[in-house]
Amino acid sequence: MNKQLNRFATIIWLALVILTIGTLLLGEEVTAGKTVMLSVLAISLIKGQLIANYFMGLRHVSWLWRGIILGYFVIVGGMIAIAYLN
Amino acid sequence: MNTNTALVNETEDLPGDFAIWIFILAEMLVFGVMFIVYAFARSNQIEVFNESQLTLSRAMGTLNTIILITSSYFVVRAVSAIKSGDSRQSGHWLLGTILLGGMFVAVKLWEFNEKFSAGITLETNDFYMFYLTLTFFHLMHVLMGMIILACIVYKLKNGDYSAEEHFGVETGASFWHMVDLLWIILFPLIYIIR
Repeated sequence: MNKQLNRFATIIWLALVILTIGTLLLGEEVTAGKTVMLSVLAISLIKGQLIANYFMGLRHVSWLWRGIILGYFVIVGGMIAIAYLN
Repeated sequence: MNTNTALVNETEDLPGDFAIWIFILAEMLVFGVMFIVYAFARSNQIEVFNESQLTLSRAMGTLNTIILITSSYFVVRAVSAIKSGDSRQSGHWLLGTILLGGMFVAVKLWEFNEKFSAGITLETNDFYMFYLTLTFFHLMHVLMGMIILACIVYKLKNGDYSAEEHFGVETGASFWHMVDLLWIILFPLIYIIR
């Protein structure tokens, strides 16, 4: 059981590293524009959810806590997007 | 009565001490406000922010992101090990985490030194003011996390934690994950998007 959980955590770690490299590659885009900005913010939201749910272990607790973290990323990310789209 | 029981059960399900979660939410709120203020401050000086941002090393920012993500993974393994009753293994994973935290600090100090050597200070422009303030504030949290984890390693060596009692390990782990979570937004905001 523990071995299985550890293997799952390793997969999540790998996914996070791949998403981070994806963020870097998007950042290297010379024509960095709104699409790149929104894509990078979306990747951050996904990474935040992976860390909160699978590393912090929030998938086992009340939906309220998962909702708070998801809401945080949506609100902060959303406000950043609004500021950048202006 | 039923409602109270349900609430207590939900709270107990959170990993670690409930108080650390209040602290985590407070810290996230403070950083969240600073992230939003940065974004709106930028909208008034887009050229200054974009040009200054290009002087940062995206490769170093990415390296530090991978270091923090890996350190968070080590913390997960430390919690998993103590849940299995293996305090020695748990201590080893946490020592690895502290080492990675040290690497993060070294990279950040190298970046700061590079900027200070180029004559860049808090007063150079608004971008550098935000860059230096936000990353320094975050760096302080990394250092605090390393101290917390070092205390946990000490207690693990003393046999204070076991498969049945590992509340402290989970509390420290939650704090470290928060440091990672904040960097997940800080990194693209400061280094990538423009």
